[in-house]
Formats: sequence, C-alpha cells, structure tokens
Amino acid sequence: MSGVGLAHNTLVVAAGVAAVGFAAGVVGSLCVLRKRALVGDAAAHATLVGVAVAFLATGRRDLPTLLLGGLASACVGLGALVLIRRWTRTRDDAATAIVIGVGFGLGIALISGIPAWGYPDSAGLETFLLGHTAALTARDAVVLAAVAAAALAVVVAAFKESVLVAFDAAFAAASGWPVTAIDCLIVVLVATMVVVGLPAVGAVLVTALVVIPPVAARFWTDRASTMLALAGAIGLVSALVGVAVSASRPGLATGPLVVLAAAAWFVVSFLAAPGRGWIARRREAAAAGRSWDEGLVIDACLRLTGGGASAHADAEATGAFTEEGAIAAAAGDRADGRAAAARAWSAVVVAGLVEPAAAGRWRLSTAGRATAAARRQRVEAWLRLFAEDPDAARGLATVDLTGASGLSSAIRS
Amino acid sequence: MPLAEMLVDGDSAGAFSAHGAIHAWAMATAAVVAAACGLVGTLLVVRRLSLLGDAIGHAVLPGIAVAVLFGGRPGGPLVILGAAAAALVTVWLTQAIRAAGGPAEDAGAGVVFTTLFALGVVIVALAPAGTHLDAGCVLHGDLAFLPFDTVPVAGVEIPRACLAGVVTLVVLAAAAAATWRLQAFVAFDPAAARAAGLPVAAATAGLLGATAVATVASFDAVGAVLAVALLVVPAAAAELLTRRLHRMAILAMLLGALGGCVGYLAAWRWNTSAAGMIAVVLGLEYLAAALLAPDDGWISRGVSRLRLGWRVACEDRLAAAWRSEEAGVPSLPSAGGVTRRAADGWLRLRGRLTSAGGRWRLTPTGRREAEMIVRSHRLWETWLGRHADLPADHLHPPAEWVEHHLGAAMRRRLEAETVGHTSDPHGRGIPPEA
Amino acid sequence: MTVAAAGVQTVVDGSREPLLEFHDVTVAYGRRPVVWHVDLAIDAPCLFGIIGPNGAGKSTLLKAALGLVPVVGGRVRFFGAPLDRVRPRVGYVPQRETVDWDFPVSVMDVVLMGTYARLGWFRRPGSKERRLAAESLDRVGLADLVGRQIGRLSGGQQQRVFLARALAQQADVYLLDEPMAGVDVRSQEEIFRVLGELRRDGRLVVVVHHDLRTAAEWFDRAALIDMRLVASGPTAEVLTPDNLRRTYAGQLEILDEVGRAVAERGRTS
Repeated sequence: MSGVGLAHNTLVVAAGVAAVGFAAGVVGSLCVLRKRALVGDAAAHATLVGVAVAFLATGRRDLPTLLLGGLASACVGLGALVLIRRWTRTRDDAATAIVIGVGFGLGIALISGIPAWGYPDSAGLETFLLGHTAALTARDAVVLAAVAAAALAVVVAAFKESVLVAFDAAFAAASGWPVTAIDCLIVVLVATMVVVGLPAVGAVLVTALVVIPPVAARFWTDRASTMLALAGAIGLVSALVGVAVSASRPGLATGPLVVLAAAAWFVVSFLAAPGRGWIARRREAAAAGRSWDEGLVIDACLRLTGGGASAHADAEATGAFTEEGAIAAAAGDRADGRAAAARAWSAVVVAGLVEPAAAGRWRLSTAGRATAAARRQRVEAWLRLFAEDPDAARGLATVDLTGASGLSSAIRS
Repeated sequence: MPLAEMLVDGDSAGAFSAHGAIHAWAMATAAVVAAACGLVGTLLVVRRLSLLGDAIGHAVLPGIAVAVLFGGRPGGPLVILGAAAAALVTVWLTQAIRAAGGPAEDAGAGVVFTTLFALGVVIVALAPAGTHLDAGCVLHGDLAFLPFDTVPVAGVEIPRACLAGVVTLVVLAAAAAATWRLQAFVAFDPAAARAAGLPVAAATAGLLGATAVATVASFDAVGAVLAVALLVVPAAAAELLTRRLHRMAILAMLLGALGGCVGYLAAWRWNTSAAGMIAVVLGLEYLAAALLAPDDGWISRGVSRLRLGWRVACEDRLAAAWRSEEAGVPSLPSAGGVTRRAADGWLRLRGRLTSAGGRWRLTPTGRREAEMIVRSHRLWETWLGRHADLPADHLHPPAEWVEHHLGAAMRRRLEAETVGHTSDPHGRGIPPEA
Repeated sequence: MTVAAAGVQTVVDGSREPLLEFHDVTVAYGRRPVVWHVDLAIDAPCLFGIIGPNGAGKSTLLKAALGLVPVVGGRVRFFGAPLDRVRPRVGYVPQRETVDWDFPVSVMDVVLMGTYARLGWFRRPGSKERRLAAESLDRVGLADLVGRQIGRLSGGQQQRVFLARALAQQADVYLLDEPMAGVDVRSQEEIFRVLGELRRDGRLVVVVHHDLRTAAEWFDRAALIDMRLVASGPTAEVLTPDNLRRTYAGQLEILDEVGRAVAERGRTS
C-alpha cells in the first residue's frame, strides 16, 4: 500500500473513531442524567457473546456482521437484566453485576474456545476485549461513523423528551409520555454506542466512553444541552488522543489510552472548572469564610467602642481598643477562632478599616465606621426580609454560598 | 494454549486420568478461591455493594501491577498489599468525588474503576518483559497453568495459587466468624447500627479490604474482570434460596465451589477458558435458583398461583351450594365449565359433596366448611360497611375475593369490631363460628 | 356538547359527569392491596383535600388516578372518560423528593416542560410556550428567578416552580401531592392563594395534604383516607372527632394483615 494510502486510511479511521467518541459522549449523558450510568457496562460485557456467535454462525469476520451480533447479544443481556429485576428478589445492583459477570464469562469462553476449536482465520476476536484501532479499515470507520451519526440524530430529535424523562419520570408519565419506551430508546442507543465503540476501546473499557465525558462535562455547565455538547467534545478529543498514541506504539491496546485521556479531562474538569470545580469551590468557601471573619472583627471593634446599637451610636464610636482585645472579642468561644481572627485582623488593617490611635491602640477609621454601619444595615434588612418572607431570605443566603451576588459580598463591600 | 492441547484428547477418560493430579489441583484452587469470594460476596450483595465489588475487582489491577513491578510474587504479601491499597484508593476516590460535588453513586464509581483499570493495563503493557503479568492473564486468568507453579509444604508440592487460596479462605472465614454479628447488623440496618454506636465505618472498610484480598486470591485463577462473577453470582443465587444470612453465606460458598469445579471440567471438556466457563456455570446456578427456589422461585410462584385458583374454585362451589340451601333449594346443579366441574369432582372425592340425581348436595363436613366461607364473606361485608364509606351495593365484590383469605382468628376479630351486627348489610344472617 | 365560557367543560353529550370519579378503586403494590375499595366522586370545581395519616395511601390513590401505579380493582374516570382520552386536561404536581434538584436545568426549562404534552413529539418550545411559561412563573411570584438552576432554590421556591409547571399545562383538573411538605408558612400561603385563584376560575384542585389544622381552613371539601375511605364531603362535616378517631386511631392492622395474606396467596391466622 502506498504511503499516501496509508495516511488516508489512518485519517479516516481517526475521523470515524472521533465521531464514535462524540456520539458516545452525547448518548452517555442521557444515561448519566437518568442515573443509570452502569447500564452501558452491562451491555458492553454482554456484547462479546454476540461477536463470537456471529463469527461462528456466519464464518465472516467483517465488522458489520460482528457488531450486529454484538448488538443483539447486548440487547439480550439488557433484557435479562430487566427480567431479573422484575421477577426475582435480586437487587438492582446485583442484577447488573450478574449480567456483567456471566455475560462476560460466556463471551470469554467463546472467544477463547474459537481458536482452539480449529477455526481458520479466527484470530483477532480478542481485539474486541481492549480495542485495537490499528486493525480498522477505512470502510469500517465509515460504517461506525454512520451509526454514530444516526444515534446522534435520534438524540437531537428526541432531546426534550429524553431530558424530561430523565428529570421527572413521574410527571412525564402523568402527562402521557411513554416513559418505558423512551427509557428503552435511551438504553438501546447506549447499547448501540457501546457496540460501535468496541473496535476502538474494547468491551471491558467502553463503558468509560459513555460515562466519563458526561461526568466531566457536568462540571462546566448547568444547562443540559451544553452538557451534552461538551460531553461529545470531550469524548471526541479523548478518542483522537487514544488513537494517536496507540498508532505510535503498536503494542499498546487503544482502549486504555482512550480511557486515560478521558480521565485526564475528568481530573481537569473536577479541579479547574469555574463554579463547580474543586479549586473554585475552595476559593469561594475561603473567601466567604474570610469575609465572614473580617465582618466579625469589624463587629468586635464596633462593640468595643460602644457602637452597634444604632446609627447614632455608630457615629460616636471613635474610641480606641487594643489589637489583642479586638482579636479576642472577634474570636469568641470558637476553638480555632483566634487564628482566623488574627488573619482577619491583618486583612482589616491592610484594607485601612482601622487606623492607629495613641498609645499603641487602634480605632476604626472613617471607612471602617462606614463599613460597619453598612454591614449592620444589611443584616437588619436581611432579618426584616426573613421575618416577611423566610423563603426568599433563605434563598438569598443559599445562593450566596454557591457564588452569586448577595449577602457575603454585601458584607464585604 | 499448549497445555490445553496436551490435556485435550478425543477419549476423555484416558486423557483425564493421566493428568488427574493437575486437574485436581486446578479444581481445588478454583473451588477454594470461589468459596472465599462467595463468602465475601454475601455481605456485598446484602449491603447493595455489588457494583463496588465489581469496581474493586477491576481497580486492584494497578495495585497488583505495581507490586509485581517491585518484585512481588503473584499471591504474595506485597501483591496483596498493593491490591488492598488499590481497593481502598478506589473507595476513597469514589467517596471524595461525591463529597466534592461530583456525580453520585454509580457514575462516580464508573469513572474511578475504569480509569484505574486502564492505568493497570498500561502498566502491565509497559512492564519489562519477563514479569509475571500479561494482558490475557489479567482478563481471564490462567487456571490451567496454575498447578505448575508449586511450593513444597510438608514435603508435598502444592500449587502456590491453591495454597494462597486456602490461606485466604481460612483467614476470611475466621474474620467473618469473629465479626459476623457486627457485619450482619450493619448489613440489615446501617442507620440503627450507627445509632447504636457500632463501628460501621470500620466494618465497611473491613469488608472492602476483604473484597480486595479475595479478588487478589482469585486473580490468578479468573483474572480481574471475572472476579465479579465469583463475588456476586453465587451470593445472589444463595439469596434467592434462603433468608437467613449465615445460611446464605454457606450456600454461596458451596455454590461457588461447585461452580469452580464444574466450570473447570466443562472448560476442559470443551477446550476453552476455565474462568469463562466457571462464570457460565455460576450463571446457570443462578438461573436454577431463580426457577426452583422454594418461596420465590418462578416455578413455585406459578404453582402457588395455580393452587390459589383451585382453592378459590372449590370454595366458590361450596359457598354456592350453601347459599342454594339457604334459599331453599337443597341441591346444586352440575356446573358448566371445566374448572367448576373438576372442582365438583374433587369435592366429592374429599367428601364435601355427594351426588344426588345429577345434582350436588353438601355433606356435613362440606356444610361446615361452606358456612365458614360464607361467614368470612358476610363478616367482611359488615366490617367494610361499618369502616369504609362504601354503599351497600359495593360490598359484595370485595368480599367475593377477600373471603378466601380470612382465617378463624381474623373472623373473630372482625366479629368483635362489628358487635351488634348479626346480619350483613343485605340483611342476611351471619353463620356462627364452627 | 356545551363549553362553559371561562370554566370547565363538564357537560359532555348532554349529561353531567363527575370531574373526577373513583369507582371502587383498589390499588396494590405488587400483589398487596394498600388502598381498598375507594368510592369517591367530585362533581363540581372546588378545593378538595385528601387527608390522612402517613402511609395511609393518599399519595398512592393520586398516583393510581394518574396511571402511575396500577389499579387492580375498579376504575378512575376524569370527566366521565378514562385518563388517556383527557390527559391534556389533567395537571400534576408531584412530591418534591421525586426529583434530583442537581439536574442541569433552569427554572424556565422546568416550567416549559409543562407545555411539552401539547407540543407533541419532536417539536421544540417556541415563543408562545415561553410566554406561557413566563406568565405562569409570574403568577407564582418567581418571575425574577427565570434563569436560575433549580438546585439553587429554597424549598418553597422549588415547590412554586412545580406549581408553575402545572399551570403551564393549562389543565382543568389539578392533582397536587403534598405541595406544602417542607415549605414554610409564608410560601404555603402563597401557594394556597394560587390554588384559590384556580378554583375561582372554575378548575378542580385536588390536594393530598397532611396538616389537619390548615386543612380545615383551606379546603371546601375533603376526604379522609386510611387505607380505605373513611368519610368524604364538605370539610366541616368530614373533619369530625369521630371520623378523625376512626382515621387516625387506626383500624390498620386488619387491612394490613389481610393485605399480606392476599399477597402471599394464603389465609390470615
């Protein structure tokens, strides 16, 4: 094969796998939202049986045949899951584990047996275990991409219905929507994506392709449509990275590489996403905590100089106090109060809210008195609101903890 | 697999006996390892931690791989340590992710265990040649080869994997016996256990550590992915067969061991992966349990439904005969319909009805029984009429089916709660208790 | 067939049908009956309360009416017809706990869901639906929270979002399952005000409710349920000491045991 032909082949394969990654992320999002993340796992482990049976029955090793077999057995596995849940006492999670274990066992038994049973031309079915894109042809990739595109089209068409059922199945059913059918649709779509992902990622790990991108995407957005698109993008990139690395090191199976790429995205999302990421939350909590502590220091200063009871008293609060006294008053009885109060004191000094007075003592500056007064007014306003409409008041306070404008910044300002 | 070819031969008997010792050791290993997993799996299943067991099964791989890279021997203490560490990391990560605002439940576990498994596979693939791991082993173990790696114990060459399995089983069984009450309490009601001040977290940690240990022990036999089959399937089958936890555990161990042996033999017979066939056999055991379980099995449910239908048919005939007598017609004509005719025949056989010129009459025994049925019916109508806001013409249909489910004690209670009503809402008398 | 001008179309083929009718309804979980032989008909628009102790089957009855739980005996009719034929005319506000409030949808998204049934398959909500949703949000006083993700709402606000969603359904009968649970008094009064408006507009509002004191104030008519119907009618006539004793002092054990015997296909002792 000419060099150009080879490069073209690789590109087409890469494009096909990327399409699969994208569609898997989108379809998987629906499952994750529906709280059925590991249904894909059951389907995935059950596909091997179908792949092996398809080969045994038809003697053909072309991808469409094998994948059709895989899809059929995935559906059988999912059907078994439903039967177990409906007709036995076995709990849901155990039922999923049973389908995973027994389905995979049967698949392994068949795939291991085929070479030993003397079938010529049977090598290569093991690539479905961990994925091996180097074996894909351009034609295969086109088929995969076509199926992925079809699944995407279904999701886009039935988007509002899927989100409705995932969010509130009871309301959907009461409104007349066929919830069971829609659930079935989502599950079949996931099974399809799992099957289509087999050549690239393998049966054992393909569930990661439908679980990790949605989970990562969730950190970045609060809108369902954005989450689906983002999950698709993450899936696409992960698939490409996995394929690229696997192409450069032919001994490595593709599956684990794709999964690790997706996992890297997850770690980045988990840590760095604005708003919901871990770093952002810690910073937010720290800022809220700091502003709270600073507020306590200001309050303490005000109390020490006779203010706090009214606007008039505030205006008269020009007395002096010691740093030690202010910190102690702000710390109160709390175990770790001293350290926090000391830190807050430094911040208050830096912000110019207190200024040195005579004899090594301190007093509130003009800015400090203004801040204290504003703070008192806002707290009173909140209390008034609470007395009238506790819900709105609580809503205000809740929102603050998660970062919208509100009380904490009001106190801070 | 050259060994498998060696073992397989057209005439099973000859080939089998020639390598009997090998088979015996392989089966023993499988049995012992499956029993250990079944024991741990019982608690996992009852505590709804099956998928965590699956996750641990996958996630111990990097722990094992790293330990082997550092010179640990398969089944040796370093490997067990590595696996236990990986298991705890899995659990901790899943919890930490959820606590930090990540996805709940399954999704979080899915992220963690696939990532760790992928990591493990990559480590194994990048490991220098000559280490004890390879991808195939990871995925489905290598039971047939195990008997060849032996250690001398008291002068006998015992396969290392079998020895490790036995030690694991003994240790886990001892630990289970020692902490059984605690584990059982926590399994059935974690909230109450916590409220009672019991160390729930420690019990859970212990259980998950035991899962890791059992997974390691089974790693050589069935690989990482199929450990879930050994952990969950026998325990789930046992759960269908009994409701007592300790019996469940014992059954799970027995079913696991049985599956291990039969699975191995089947794999030998059909020349395929032992791990796979073991999982298949365990699945068949589960199916059998679902079918045959005494109370909940599909067969017994079907039978109980048929028996109820039959009892209802017979009781309806008796009641009809009695009502007919009450109305002044002392005998009941033969019924149309196969079921009713069969019921009549059966009642005659049991001495409740006698034949009188093509029609049926009640015998004294039959009359007593029929009276109790009508009594149940009318008591229920009276009780419903008093305690539910139902008009009189709506009372008959409910009583029609409830009458078959009331026993003597319940009838007395109904009578007590409807004191003052000697006749039903339709004005008909209620027969006294026999 | 006549159509009332601003009210509910209750005259069908010249005959008056009850707005909502339970005819000898028995509901079972699995094989076990939990609600027995409820016979209840509501003929005119009103604020109707279904009251009873915990676990008495009130929510179960509502769910059975909506087809969410199977009815094993009897039937439920809306405007004289089975639910499937008149679904657009029945609105539902489920319990708040049924939903994961961390779901990535905004307040507007949730209220728009009330318009989906009339849109049908594959069509996206357009400006007409958005206007309707905005109006519904305005009626419950949440107009300025349109874009907020639903997890960032307080309990009362979440309940009002559900109510707005039901309003967007533009139904004639509204079924609400414990709308006041976990909601502070002020928000309860808000919600009750909206329900009163609905009743004035000629709609039937059926509410499963747990608080006797407010029930006596709020509802025109009520039904006391404790695994079976104890009494129904105008609230003052229903909430008598005798009825309350029969409901809350519990004849549960008998129905419980018989239910279990039925489930096990055997006899009680």
